[in-house]
Amino acid sequence: MVEVALGTALAAIGAGVAIGFAGLGSGIGQGIAAAGSVGAVAEDEEMFARGIIFTALPETQAIYGFLIAILLMVFTVMAGKALSPALGLVAIGAGAAIGFAGLGSGMGQGIAASSSVGSVVEDPDMFARGIIFTALPETQAIYGFLIAILLMVFAGIMGG
Amino acid sequence: MVEDIATLVTSLGFPSTEAFLGLVILVLLIIGAVVVIVTIRPVQNIFPYTYPNARVRGRAGKIFTEKQFSEIIEAGNIDEVKNYLRGFPDYAKYIDQYSLEKALDTQLAENYDLIARITPANSRDAFKFLLKKWDIQNLKSIVIAKKVGLNAEETLELVVPFGELTDKLDALVDANDINEVLSALEGTEYTSIIEDAIPIYEETGMLLPLEASLDKYLLENLLRTVTTPEDDNTALLKSYVGSMVDATNLKIILRAKVDGLKFEDIDPYMISDGYQIREWKLKDLMEAEDVAGVVSGLEGTEYAPVLVEAMTQYTETGSIGAFEIALDNHVSETAKRISLKNQFGIGPMIGFLSKKEKEIKNLKIIVRGKREEGFTPAMIKEMLV
Repeated sequence: MVEVALGTALAAIGAGVAIGFAGLGSGIGQGIAAAGSVGAVAEDEEMFARGIIFTALPETQAIYGFLIAILLMVFTVMAGKALSPALGLVAIGAGAAIGFAGLGSGMGQGIAASSSVGSVVEDPDMFARGIIFTALPETQAIYGFLIAILLMVFAGIMGG
Repeated sequence: MVEDIATLVTSLGFPSTEAFLGLVILVLLIIGAVVVIVTIRPVQNIFPYTYPNARVRGRAGKIFTEKQFSEIIEAGNIDEVKNYLRGFPDYAKYIDQYSLEKALDTQLAENYDLIARITPANSRDAFKFLLKKWDIQNLKSIVIAKKVGLNAEETLELVVPFGELTDKLDALVDANDINEVLSALEGTEYTSIIEDAIPIYEETGMLLPLEASLDKYLLENLLRTVTTPEDDNTALLKSYVGSMVDATNLKIILRAKVDGLKFEDIDPYMISDGYQIREWKLKDLMEAEDVAGVVSGLEGTEYAPVLVEAMTQYTETGSIGAFEIALDNHVSETAKRISLKNQFGIGPMIGFLSKKEKEIKNLKIIVRGKREEGFTPAMIKEMLV
């Protein structure tokens, strides 16, 4: 069995938190958007393409979480680096930053996407405005993603 | 730095840094679980409504606009109205199959049926019960048809193929008289209502008691399905059904006052416990001297401003229609308010049904106007609700 330093193990937890929570939010959000899109397509087949676009939007949070998780793993576990417990806690912080931000952002975006799909099926002219409203909850995930990157860079996990 | 942390951990009474980290991870896990539960809970209420609401909003988008209504009103005759409606797939499928009025009712009934099928479980009972509205409409049509001696084919033109009696419709339509209608209805909840109302009809020649009994059955039981709201959505459904019940009770009372009927004449047709206008208040209103007494008796309720405005019109024209329109508009406004307030729940469904009802009502007004002589487009427009 490979010996893993405590700090590195904590970084692995951080990676899990990053993709776990971000994926949860993204999944719930995408489920809500997909349920709305299916309803819209049932009424108007031409809604398929637009429904797919709205359903795809809450995917980004999972991508951010996935990226942070990969970075944490590449620079710690996969690099065979023995991280100190303090750095391990920073890695958990980075994972939590994108994980929780992605959770809220993904669910919010899913609700907005579902509502936008309803608006577009009711009035096709609402498409562009629906996309803008749906894109707004993306910002929280971007904040979480940025903070996670900054934590990793300045604590020396990445490029240290 | 590491030594400082180790000293801090030891001073806190932990035997090792690992034990401290174990506690930190446990605390983080608990915080994570709390965050997930708190964040997901509101979504649990929204999720079941996303599919039905998207479908309903898709249909709401096809409701005729004012411009489209103007185009229909400008149609030269009934055939032009039919041709116009053929341009819309929702109507086209029924236009060539049924008479125009039946096609319109069938389209409306199809929407009720859709909502009863796709609505989430906690409001399904109420919407399913609401489907009985078509059973009741069909029964009224069949009883009238049999009384005036229409044959099966003519009777069939009056019934809408929706509701819970669809498997009995053939037998009901083929019935030669009321007794055969009653035997076809055997085992249903309507037998006793019709049995009780028929002697009154035979004695007085008035169909109102039969219609009022059936309406009472529908609304009283509909209100029962939403008596104990489980959540915000069912509470809003209750307020919508409640406003329908109150409006129906007030219409009966106002009509009775215009016709000079007494408390005991109308009491059997009242829906026993209204929503905002409770039993004791209904009794007071029923005992009012005249229409003005009923309106003033409503002071303090949300119906007072609505009916006071209609009172002016009633005084000018003497037509009870002003009150009926005002009460119908109040129910529509309630639906609109609910649909705006609760966009992620039951709101869009209630709002859609109310808008669809209004659309069909207006289309029927136009059809009637086109069918009868002497109605100009301006006059028809004036009649729209």
